[in-house]
Amino acid sequence: MSITFARSRQSTTVMCVFTALAVAAAFLGGSPFSSAADTADGDFSKETLEVMIPLAEGGGTDTWARFVGQELAPRVTGGPGFSPVNEPGGEGITGSNQFARRAPADGTHLLVSTATSVVPWVLGRSEVNYDFAQMTPVVVNGTGGAIYARKAAGVEGLRDLVDRDTPLTFGGISATGLDLTTLVAFDVLGVDQRSIFGFEGRGPVNLAVQRGEVDLDYQTTSAWEPSVGPLLQNGSVVPLVSFGQLDEDGEVVRDTNFPDLPTVAEAYEELYGEAPSGPAWEAYTALLGVTYTYQKGLWVPGETSEGASESLRKAADDLSGDKAFNDKAAEVLGGYPLVADDGVKERVAEVYVVDDSVREYVLSLLRDTYDIHLG
Amino acid sequence: MTEAALSALGSLADPSMLLMLMAGVLAGLIIGLIPGLGGTAAMAILLPLTFGMEPAAALAMLIGALAVVHTSDTVATVLLGAPGSASASVTLLDGYPMARAGQAKRALGLAFLSSMVGGVIGAIGLTIAIPLVRPLVLSFGSPELFMLTVLGISMAAVLSRGNAVKGLVAAALGLLFGMVGTAPTTAEYRFTFGSMLLADGLSLVAVALGTFGLAEIASRAGQKKSNEAPVSLSGGWMAGIREWLSHWTQVIRGSLVGIWAGILPGIGATAGTWLAYGQAVATAKDKSKFGKGDPRGVVGPESANSSIAAGDLIPTLMFGIPGSVPAAMLLGMLLTNGIQAGPSIVTDHLNLMYLIIWSFAIASVVGALLCFVSSKGLARITTVSFSVLGPGLLAIMMLGAYQGSLQVGDLWIMLVLGALGWLLKSTGFPRAPFLIGFVLAVPLERYYFLTDRVYAPSDWLTRPYVLVFIAILAVPALLALRRRFRKDVPADQDAPPPASADADGPLADSVWSLTTSVGLLAVFVVAFFLTSSFSDEGRLVPRLVAGVGIALAALLVAREWKGGSFAPPRPERDPEFDDGEASAPTSGTTLVQPSTAVTRWPVMTPMVHNSTRTFAWMTVFVVLATLFGYVPALLFFLPAFLLYVAETRPRTATVYTAVMVSIIAVVPVFLPIHLPGGIFVG
Repeated sequence: MSITFARSRQSTTVMCVFTALAVAAAFLGGSPFSSAADTADGDFSKETLEVMIPLAEGGGTDTWARFVGQELAPRVTGGPGFSPVNEPGGEGITGSNQFARRAPADGTHLLVSTATSVVPWVLGRSEVNYDFAQMTPVVVNGTGGAIYARKAAGVEGLRDLVDRDTPLTFGGISATGLDLTTLVAFDVLGVDQRSIFGFEGRGPVNLAVQRGEVDLDYQTTSAWEPSVGPLLQNGSVVPLVSFGQLDEDGEVVRDTNFPDLPTVAEAYEELYGEAPSGPAWEAYTALLGVTYTYQKGLWVPGETSEGASESLRKAADDLSGDKAFNDKAAEVLGGYPLVADDGVKERVAEVYVVDDSVREYVLSLLRDTYDIHLG
Repeated sequence: MTEAALSALGSLADPSMLLMLMAGVLAGLIIGLIPGLGGTAAMAILLPLTFGMEPAAALAMLIGALAVVHTSDTVATVLLGAPGSASASVTLLDGYPMARAGQAKRALGLAFLSSMVGGVIGAIGLTIAIPLVRPLVLSFGSPELFMLTVLGISMAAVLSRGNAVKGLVAAALGLLFGMVGTAPTTAEYRFTFGSMLLADGLSLVAVALGTFGLAEIASRAGQKKSNEAPVSLSGGWMAGIREWLSHWTQVIRGSLVGIWAGILPGIGATAGTWLAYGQAVATAKDKSKFGKGDPRGVVGPESANSSIAAGDLIPTLMFGIPGSVPAAMLLGMLLTNGIQAGPSIVTDHLNLMYLIIWSFAIASVVGALLCFVSSKGLARITTVSFSVLGPGLLAIMMLGAYQGSLQVGDLWIMLVLGALGWLLKSTGFPRAPFLIGFVLAVPLERYYFLTDRVYAPSDWLTRPYVLVFIAILAVPALLALRRRFRKDVPADQDAPPPASADADGPLADSVWSLTTSVGLLAVFVVAFFLTSSFSDEGRLVPRLVAGVGIALAALLVAREWKGGSFAPPRPERDPEFDDGEASAPTSGTTLVQPSTAVTRWPVMTPMVHNSTRTFAWMTVFVVLATLFGYVPALLFFLPAFLLYVAETRPRTATVYTAVMVSIIAVVPVFLPIHLPGGIFVG
């Protein structure tokens, strides 16, 4: 009996000590170890660049962010550390929301953007609480892509896309992701197609083309050579049109990675004899900017001091001019240079403003053609 | 080709390369040991270390780790009933009963040897597949993948022998849970109740660890009396090897199923491992031991989960289509080294391909050997009381599950699924069909719609592989029908086995199982009504599943009703019953009911009572972690549970807590492991 009693007293003591420790730990954890970073002078010494990657590990954007962040950090004045943080969830929305809510505006926290987080913002989805128009880009990097078709479906050239007896089958992942730009391009060109969504990625769509399940597909520049190259060689598919790139004046121009392919604008002229215009075309150029030409980016909160954001941007500009880096990064950057010159802020700001008319057009396209109802 | 293969092998003879490979193997083994951490964590931890390394050395390390995580994740699965990873839950089915019968060493030995050979066969498969992979992958379109998922779901019936209705209800529930999140074809949110956490679906790790691991802790951690068979550590290595050799056909079959499941994009490791188990059961003559410690139930899936990891590399490298998160991370690592995956990798980087193959094979052998020689020591862990192991295991499992999404909500999901898993287990619902339904829900719907959109029924139903699948599905059913018409056949092994206490749930046929059935019926009914807000396309499959679920659950309720399931649980089934008052906890805390109440209210049997108490403690832990962060929560929960539930000596509790908390608090400083922060703190 007395042993039990002694033991229970000991137990109570142990419990009390640990509970006190728990309270202490909770308080310690709460007190911020580092006060707000002093980076307004552009000096990041003793700081760490925390890069929020709103997607899971693996995949193109994660690889891009880790690679660029790793190379960028040592070039920033003061040589800050680099710490990538993956916050997967809601296809990029959760992490981006969290960044918008919590990230301190001192340049030590950066957000990675990519098509999956940009498109919901373009569509004005209710889950989105971040706003790229309110953030400052540090560096952007584009990508491109092109549409191709299976010859066996009776496509030899552009004209076979329109006025068909039977519509072509397009393989898609989700109408509210990167596919959206392609769907708008189809609408601009009047492509006679029906879309099937639900593929797991562009790789599986490419396989479905090879199986003859799907007739129309697009691939981004970095995937083009490995996935479409062999099919071009054996002559089973035909390349049709590239998405093109936005130039500094916001015009659609040829993509240097697809120099021989007409852009959507040129294809329209070839088919209809005039330059494209109207709401569909405006939506296309808007989407082209945010989902291709300036697709990936590192951003800091809009309130970040000029000194801090400029320091980061200059480091990125320095990086983009480094030949050794560009050689090493060729595959990761997918054939498009990092852009961080001193005009990048204005150009990106112009592109990352999406007019209500564009939004309305896209929402009505999704509703009327694809039976997708978004708020 | 041979030249490239030999030169790759030669490069591995370089001591620094070999060192990298072994470092990867060791890291992989350790990470695999921790429930909840697997290939993804291994890659996340090792990838940053490879920056600046030669691609060959980096590959050796990463492949070394990937090849063995599924070898060591067997340890916690078999010994503690806590699946080391989602796919390891398959091994749990037979490995854990073996360990509980005192044969932990035997189970581990079989598992490790199977992993080893599975890995080697996987590496050979990787070599052979290089020229074959293209036709193989191209011949498997959406209709074939759809039929494969149907085959997987139909295994629910195979795996719930004698309990077909309960098994099918569990499968329907799993399908329903699998549909939480973004719909695969319409990108709309379903059953998410406005939560962004649910928008991605329930995390597989949280579901697997909850339904199996937490449920196991709940049923055993509060238990005083150990009704385990004493651990048998006898038997030399040769005896183990000899027994394993007698199952060599299972090893080969399991490995082949694994490679195949790995090559096909879109099926996943967990479903692939279930397929391997399913084929072992379906083709066995005597099925009666499965689920109760049949060695074939360990050998098949363990061979498969190693070879899946190899198979998975095939589409990753050849098409740039990763079949899993670790594979995607491997692609990223190759990309940062300027290597683009795709068909050209064979011509441009053949030496790297062979390096991967050799590394995989060597790592499999070395990793499994290391585990095999230590299996005797590992098996000793089963001699430690579960009430002492439980709280630490809980802390590790929850931390592991948290790494996937870094959202505290996942801890809650795990807790809720732990309670569900416990209820299913105790009332005799097989949990394997639940997990199968869960992992196959999205592929089933995805490939159904793709099939339906691309082909006319007359086209796809007549494709050769589809016909093969239909035959696989139909022939056993027809045979069973024929047997039923021939009444003269005596009750053979297909007759439902007699309900034995430990296998079929101590609360089966009681008011508990009746209540559970009614509860599940309610879940299906609510789900059915919720589907009315979905789009036409997004509604079809969930509504179908909910409808079938309603019908099956109603049948079950009717059966239980008729069977007189108002009765309290049968005393003889409760593992702690005959212990009576002596087993009821006697420590004087307010949380503990006095034992007299237990006898007065027989519905609360000692087991129910203990499990409820453990769940209450777990809930306290998750609440504290949510509010104040992980470390403070551990500092309170660990000593409290050890002192007042496990009733350890204060000194044990002190040392245990101090060691656990120090490790968990320090690890994030060095490795990319994250701790839940807490609302009031972070």
